[in-house]
Amino acid sequence: MTNIVEIENVHKYFKNVEVLKGVSLSIKKGEKIVLIGASGSGKSTLLRCINRLEEPTYGEIYFNDKLISLVDPYEHIDFIQKSNTYKKYIDSGLSYEDAISKIKEERSLKLIKEGKEYKQAINKYISDNYMDITLARSKIGMVFQHFNLFNNLTVIENLILAPVELKLMTKEEAINKATSYLERIGLIDKKDEYPSKLSGGQQQRIAIIRSLCMNPDVMLFDEPTSALDPEMVGEVLSLMEELASSGLTMVIVTHEMAFARKIASKVVFIDSGVIQESGTPSEIFDSPKNPRLKDFLSKVI
Amino acid sequence: MSFFNDLVKIATTAEYRNYILQGFLNTLAITFIAVIIGLVLGFIVAIVKVFARTNKALAIPNAICNFYTTVFRGTPVALQLFIFVFALFAIPGFKVYAVILCFGINSGAYVSENIRAGIMSVDSGQMEAGTSLGLSEIKTMRKVIIPQAIKNVIPAIGNEIIALLKETAIISMIGSTVGTLTFDLNQASSTISYAISDFFAPSIIAALFYLIVVYIFTLLIKLIEKRLHKNDKHS
Repeated sequence: MTNIVEIENVHKYFKNVEVLKGVSLSIKKGEKIVLIGASGSGKSTLLRCINRLEEPTYGEIYFNDKLISLVDPYEHIDFIQKSNTYKKYIDSGLSYEDAISKIKEERSLKLIKEGKEYKQAINKYISDNYMDITLARSKIGMVFQHFNLFNNLTVIENLILAPVELKLMTKEEAINKATSYLERIGLIDKKDEYPSKLSGGQQQRIAIIRSLCMNPDVMLFDEPTSALDPEMVGEVLSLMEELASSGLTMVIVTHEMAFARKIASKVVFIDSGVIQESGTPSEIFDSPKNPRLKDFLSKVI
Repeated sequence: MSFFNDLVKIATTAEYRNYILQGFLNTLAITFIAVIIGLVLGFIVAIVKVFARTNKALAIPNAICNFYTTVFRGTPVALQLFIFVFALFAIPGFKVYAVILCFGINSGAYVSENIRAGIMSVDSGQMEAGTSLGLSEIKTMRKVIIPQAIKNVIPAIGNEIIALLKETAIISMIGSTVGTLTFDLNQASSTISYAISDFFAPSIIAALFYLIVVYIFTLLIKLIEKRLHKNDKHS
C-alpha cells in the first residue's frame, strides 16, 4: 500500500508555545485514521498542518510522495553535509556524528550563510519534489467544525464553485455530480437555498459533499460533529460511515469514541503535542498501555 | 415677511435660479467623480492591506498605504484642499481637477478603512474553506469574501458618501466664482445672499437641496441593503 500522506517530524510553535513536538505519521490509501486526545493536545493543529492551513515550523509533509511543506534541511543529512557550518565544525575537529547532531540540536543553518552548494542542493530538491500547495489542496478534502459553507452562495453554487473555477469539470458536469451527491444525502430539494436557511446537520453534510465533489485522495475532518446539536450528530456520522465503507482515505479528529471504534483502521492518541500511542481500535480502547491514554479514556468513556 | 419675499425673489429671478442650479449640479458632479476615485482607491488600498498580513512581498506597498491613510485621515480636509489647489496643482485651469482629486483621495483613505473592516468582519473560516478546496486566496477573495464584505460595508460607504457631499461645501474657501466649474451649491447661496443682502432665504434653499439629495441617497442605500440581506435572514 502506498502512503498518501507522510508527516515527518513536524513541529509547530504558536508564538513560543510548542504545540506539536515532532510528530511523524503516515497515512496509507484507504486507511481511516482517527486522532483522539484532550482539547489543546495538538490533534487539530496536526490535521490542519496536513493541508497547510497551519504552517509547520519545522518538519516536512509529503502528499502522494511530493513535498507540500517547506523544505526542512535538518531532515536531510546530505544537505547538512554541504553546509558551511558543517565544514566549519569538521575543520574544528568534531566527528561526523557530533557535527550533525550539534547542527540539528542548535538549528544553526542559515540559508544565506551556508554557501552555494547547500543552496543548490535545496533548490534542486524543491524543483524535483515540490508540489504546489493549491494543487495539493484540491486533492485533500477538508471538513470543518463550523462547516464554513460559503454564505453568499446557494447550496449548488457552493458545490460547483471549486471544480468549475479550477476547470476540473465543466459547469454541467459539476452540476450533475453535485446533484447526484445531493440526491444521495436526500437534500436535493435544498439545492437553491442559502446555507443560513439550513440546519447544522444539513450544512455539515453539504460541506462533506462539497469536498467529495473534488474527488479527493484523502479527506480531513476537524471535529465535524462538535458544533452540532445532539440530534444532528447521527446524520453526519452515518454519512461519514458510508464514506468510510466506500474506501475513502480519511483522517478524523473527533470526540465520538464509539464512532472512532466503529470505523477507525488506526487510532492515534495525541497528548501534549506528541503521539503517545497508536494502534487498532481494540488495542487503544481495550488494552491501552500509555498511562495518559488510560487517564484520557477513563474521562471520556 | 422678508423671508418669503426673498424666497419669491430668488425663485422668480432667472439669474439666481441659475446660480442655484449651476451650484447644485457642480456639487453633484464633483461629489460623484470624487466618490468614484475614493471607491477605486479605497478598494485597492484595502486589498493591499489585507493581503499584506500574510504576504511579505507587499510590505512596501503596505507601508505606503498606511502612510497615505494616516496622513489623509489625520489632517483637515480644508487644509488638504489648500495644499492641492494652491501648492501641488497650482496650474492655471486645473483648479477643478485639483479639487476633485483632493476630495477623491481624501475619501479613499476613509473608504479603504471601511472596506478593510468589512473584509476583516467576514468569518476567517470562509477563506480557509476556499483555500482548502484548492482555490487561490485571490479567487476566494473575489468569489466569496468580497461579496460578503460588500454587504457589511454598504452602510459605512453610504455614510462616507453623504459626508463627502456635504464636505464639498468648503470649496467656497478656495474662491469659487460664478460660471466656473468649482462654483458649488454653498457658494451659490452666499453669492445670492450678498446680492440681496440677506442670508436666511438663500441658505435655507441650499440646505433643502443638500437635504433632499442626502435623503434620497439614504433611501437608496436602505433599498440596496434590504436587497443584499434578503438571503441571509437567520431563522
